Amino acid sequence: MSRAGSITLRYLTPHSKWSIHSEYQDNLHLLTLFRGGPVIWISVEDAAAIEVRDNDWVEAFNRNGVIACRAVVTHRLPRGVCMMYHAKDRHVNVPLTELSGNRGGMDNSLTRIVWKPTHLVGGYAQLSFGFNYYGPTGSQRDDLRKLLTIFWNPDLPTIDDY
Amino acid sequence: MARPHSQLTGREMSLRSGPNWDDMLAGAPETVPDDPDLRGIEEQVKLSYEHAFMFYLPRICEHCLNPSFVASCPSGAMYKRDEDGIVLVDQDKCRGWRFCVSGCPYKKVYFNHQTGKAEKCTLCYPRIEVGLPTICSETCVGRIRYLGLVLYDADRVKEAASIPDEKGLLDAQLGLFLDPEDPAVRAQARRDGIPDDWIEHARRSPVHALAIRYRVALPLHPEYRTLPMVWYVPPLSPVVNVLERDGFEADPDDVFPAIDRLRIPVDYLANLLAAGDSEVIRGVLRRLTAMRAYMRKQQVLGETDDAVAAGVGMSSADLEAMYRLLAIAKYEDRYVIPQAHTELAQRLAELPGTCGLDFEGGPGGCGALPRPADGINQNFMLTKKGPPPTGRSLPVLNRRPEEPGT
Repeated sequence: MSRAGSITLRYLTPHSKWSIHSEYQDNLHLLTLFRGGPVIWISVEDAAAIEVRDNDWVEAFNRNGVIACRAVVTHRLPRGVCMMYHAKDRHVNVPLTELSGNRGGMDNSLTRIVWKPTHLVGGYAQLSFGFNYYGPTGSQRDDLRKLLTIFWNPDLPTIDDY
Repeated sequence: MARPHSQLTGREMSLRSGPNWDDMLAGAPETVPDDPDLRGIEEQVKLSYEHAFMFYLPRICEHCLNPSFVASCPSGAMYKRDEDGIVLVDQDKCRGWRFCVSGCPYKKVYFNHQTGKAEKCTLCYPRIEVGLPTICSETCVGRIRYLGLVLYDADRVKEAASIPDEKGLLDAQLGLFLDPEDPAVRAQARRDGIPDDWIEHARRSPVHALAIRYRVALPLHPEYRTLPMVWYVPPLSPVVNVLERDGFEADPDDVFPAIDRLRIPVDYLANLLAAGDSEVIRGVLRRLTAMRAYMRKQQVLGETDDAVAAGVGMSSADLEAMYRLLAIAKYEDRYVIPQAHTELAQRLAELPGTCGLDFEGGPGGCGALPRPADGINQNFMLTKKGPPPTGRSLPVLNRRPEEPGT
């Protein structure tokens, strides 16, 4: 499912510089150290292809979910790859998404849980299976089907529209 | 929805910039062309994935020999200490003018809106005074920081800063530094009241070794003419291998592999550290490369090749000593900090650092304290009767056991 003004990219989720997972995502000090909210990094060529400028709102979606975030344009990424730093926090400073009508979304909205045998080992003490206990691991991000599409929408509805 | 609100006006605002807006090349196509460090070399720094480069440049206050913001304070609240050259803001005298914030070209003075005073890096002077390194040095995981003292000629600072050619500033500043091995310099230092153990520390100083003896460390933006005193060793970087056909095949025995094809453009480093003089950078990078080649030959092949050292104007012994200092130096080799002499503290209270407004008829007189004989306790080092009789009155925290002879 592609829309006008969207592009399909590979999706990486490295660890963030100014937070530790969900920690410090609400810390004003650390939020001022970058853009102050969820961002997705895309390359210069890809941004030009869908007419996205630095700091524009974008929606990133695939069949697993959708994220509303701002775009960061950089030549640090090669064409065809986008990157969203790993964070597990519910964001309140983003608009509602067009696709779902919900607010927020974070990097794991686009991944999904896939069991692998090592999740099922143990059965004693803390070494037991719990749903997503060990977190999304590499297996859940490598799926070739999880290609990502970015859709540029400058007029995402906000709560004032309701 | 929590949209950004201005803390000054209370109204909603859309963010256009922030203190770290372009962290890690974010927004690079828009922000990078404005970088003043790229002046004159725009075509060399290509904004493409294959040519992207980044490196860290941690910056603290340079504690310049000619600090420009000291002169810009109308209250004379800023001063450079006589005893160790640390530049400070007197929190009692500061009146919140904020000219110092504009006056520092390195932008290392920060205004505290809550206290209404300017603040800056203090070089952790309470630690330095007892011989401990600064917190930034102590915590450096990469162990890339070195602290040491340098003897310099304070009377020629103005002359050095006034050299007409920007590219001559590096040599002018190097000309200010005095050789602690020279007995005449040591005698003069003694006459000027520098304690003997300080002179010994000057001889062992790693900063003197890297910046003056081996000349691999360079001042940051010497063209600002403030004679900065935090120097940097420029980084080597990988050789760019853009195309397989055009690729550079690294020959490990080739001592100077394409210095001009390193990922970080030499001219960029020159704009940062040498007022644009690329030959200076090439010289430093050649010395670092020679050190690598020499040590590789020695450790892998078991050969000592003196020609490698001679090729960069150094002796093999110097090259090995430089290697030890840069690669495997121990804590006490990297931080060579003498302790302050408390018996001299009274003398310091009578002769504070001067500021730019201390001329006749001027506002001047920043921080001169009344004599202890007035019976006023100026600080805990002095008592009503005068300085403590002998030894140190400052607690020494976490100090390593003293080595004999220091």
